[in-house]
Amino acid sequence: MDLPAGIRNFSYAQDMAIFRTKTHWFWLFLLMVILFTAPLYWANYWLGVTNLIMITIISATGLNILTGYCGQLSIGHAGFMVVGAYTSAILSDRFGVPFLLALLCGGVMAGLVGMLFGISSLRVKGFYLAISTLAAQFIILWVISHWTAITGGTMGMPVSPAQIAGLTFRSQANKFYLILVVAIIVIYLAKNLVRTRTGRAFVAIRDNDLAAEVMGVNLFRYKLLAFFIGCFFAGIAGSLFASWTGFISSESFPLTKSILYVGMIIIGGLGTTVGPIFGVIFIQLLDVLVTHISPALQSAFPGLSSGFVVGIAPVLFGLAIILFLIFEPRGLAHRWSLFKASYRLWPFSY
Amino acid sequence: MPRESISRRDFLKVAGAIGLVAAVGGSLPLATSCGTKAKPGQTLKVGLMTPATGPIPEKGQAGRDGLLDCINYINTERGGVNGYQIKPIYRDSQYSPDIVPNLVNEFMDLGCLMFMTHSSTEMNYAKAIANPPGFPGLATYTSQTNYHPPQHIYGQGPDYGDDWIAFAKYYLSNIWQGTGRPKMALHLLNNPTGKGAEYGADAMADSLGIDIVTIEEHPATITSAIESLTRIKAKNPDVMFISSTPQPTSIILKDAHSLGMYPGMTVACAAASFTKALIDLAGADVAEGVYGAWPTVAWEENVSGMAKAMEYCQKYNPKDYGTAEYLATWAAALIIAEILRLATNDVDYAVLAKGDATAWQAIETHGMQKLKNYSVEGLQGAVSYVGGGDNRLNKLVRLYKVSNGNIVLVKDWVESPYIKYEDYSWFPKS
Repeated sequence: MDLPAGIRNFSYAQDMAIFRTKTHWFWLFLLMVILFTAPLYWANYWLGVTNLIMITIISATGLNILTGYCGQLSIGHAGFMVVGAYTSAILSDRFGVPFLLALLCGGVMAGLVGMLFGISSLRVKGFYLAISTLAAQFIILWVISHWTAITGGTMGMPVSPAQIAGLTFRSQANKFYLILVVAIIVIYLAKNLVRTRTGRAFVAIRDNDLAAEVMGVNLFRYKLLAFFIGCFFAGIAGSLFASWTGFISSESFPLTKSILYVGMIIIGGLGTTVGPIFGVIFIQLLDVLVTHISPALQSAFPGLSSGFVVGIAPVLFGLAIILFLIFEPRGLAHRWSLFKASYRLWPFSY
Repeated sequence: MPRESISRRDFLKVAGAIGLVAAVGGSLPLATSCGTKAKPGQTLKVGLMTPATGPIPEKGQAGRDGLLDCINYINTERGGVNGYQIKPIYRDSQYSPDIVPNLVNEFMDLGCLMFMTHSSTEMNYAKAIANPPGFPGLATYTSQTNYHPPQHIYGQGPDYGDDWIAFAKYYLSNIWQGTGRPKMALHLLNNPTGKGAEYGADAMADSLGIDIVTIEEHPATITSAIESLTRIKAKNPDVMFISSTPQPTSIILKDAHSLGMYPGMTVACAAASFTKALIDLAGADVAEGVYGAWPTVAWEENVSGMAKAMEYCQKYNPKDYGTAEYLATWAAALIIAEILRLATNDVDYAVLAKGDATAWQAIETHGMQKLKNYSVEGLQGAVSYVGGGDNRLNKLVRLYKVSNGNIVLVKDWVESPYIKYEDYSWFPKS
């Protein structure tokens, strides 16, 4: 990574550090202060919106590892979230397993199921793999809907609030802290993962799997590992989602959600750590905006048919994805890196 | 000097006066508003959501229009509730489990006194957020899981299980001509809408003398029902009951028609799909003869509240004219207004204005639980809170039939029994 003008590294450790200047640390500190004090001045509604954004970031980060870094297209990511959601809910509510352990089990179970469907990735790729993951979405939801004795079937199941060391995460503020900490850990892990041998193997497979294999990258192992990690994060997100809403059913994780996740990482920027963060925030806030402006638009323009107003959301989502694909295929993350580059070069133009 | 003694009558007078003072004084914090006048700008906020987009906009848009039109009518023509304007906070839920919890949070943040959902599925997600802090909710369309066991959620009318029971009774006494027990197939939406009917059948089919021969489930996005109907056809049922929304029900009816199952077999629908939209989507010829349960009167019936509903619908949302959802949510808004009226009779505005847990409790105990034989201007069965774990405010359902493209009445109000579903082992535990 480039540094601001006039700054250079003196050791390998400095070169590898994620936050390398005092300015970096200042902004990080400021961000953390804002986030950790947010419940003091944000209403429950905005905490709820932020909770959903952070849960989605965790899931999208997993999808980004799988699709953005390793190049394995998945359009069944919400299906893997279901696995994590139900696993942790059943373990904690029916068997009294502590929440943190149930959370990890949810992630592991989702990862294992992801690996199962990822086996096909060795033989197929691109659209064919996408269809395979699509099958995962349908199969998982079918099992959830029909395994009534365990999952409650189509009626879903209520989920108790998370409990850690006697503290119950019942309010939006409490849930916010829990989800925030998990999100930070996941982003940190993802950032570091892509800088390891494993991360470089993922990128090699994405860029040219034949060349990667010739270089000695074990395709089968690394593709399955990408599925495991990507789906592990999806499972963690699903588990947190269950705890956040207090109720889950197969309807909580529809196919449209899986497709939207792909849209989010495209808009954010595939193959970057900040991409899913930007993409998720953009799409979720767009959703909030549409939810709020629709009634106002209807009132302001009574001549508009209600179909026009209520159709705004899907139109805007589709339009955003198309515009990004045309004008900024590298996503918001690329815009962010351009901004940082201009900051680094300042005050010199070149 | 004669000893002064107090007579029994005087003693009773004094004791009665003291008791009255104590009773009034004890409830002063809540009762100081009796007779007080609303000041300009004082409003009563209510949170409202309908699925205006998503998989069932054909219901949610008309539902939204009925709600908002009725509140507009109450505010403009009736001067609000006890002088207080109702301030609706409306949101499109998109029928989404991601959106609904946040909307409930927003309603609570904004100081809403209560909230309303338009579908049982919305309420299933909403109740998980609303029940713990005691935020009271009213559900227009309900499934048993919304309020069994009872907490802070109330049903505007009977649930989908009640629809099934009402039709089953009608079928046995008016349609079934055979011997022995009739065979019934259930075709159910794979969520509380469908399951609600199944729970009603699970609880009552055996005692009524009906054999449920098969249960098929379908998603809201169904595009063909040929496969499931073929399985149903193999069971040769006498009657099929559908509990779903209009779009999937129309597909089931069209496919049943194409398979030659219908006409021939009796078909009935629960309230969620039995509306004008079903006839529009399926076609009048396909929907001809289908029975349906519905908790409100039909359009243009001679009841006191119909004129205003018709006037506002034709004036502001003529496209909704004839839809059952518009009338149902118009009635829901009247019930909300009555709840607020009762609450503002008893409770000081300052308490309600806070929009916090105290206000919510006041609305529930002084509003919802004080409802007694409110007629809803004849648009549906009268609403009362009876207690004892029954959070349905109204238990009456009517039965209709599609005839020549119109929905016509075949059986006037049928009272649905109270069933304590939470006592059954098969009922989901919450």
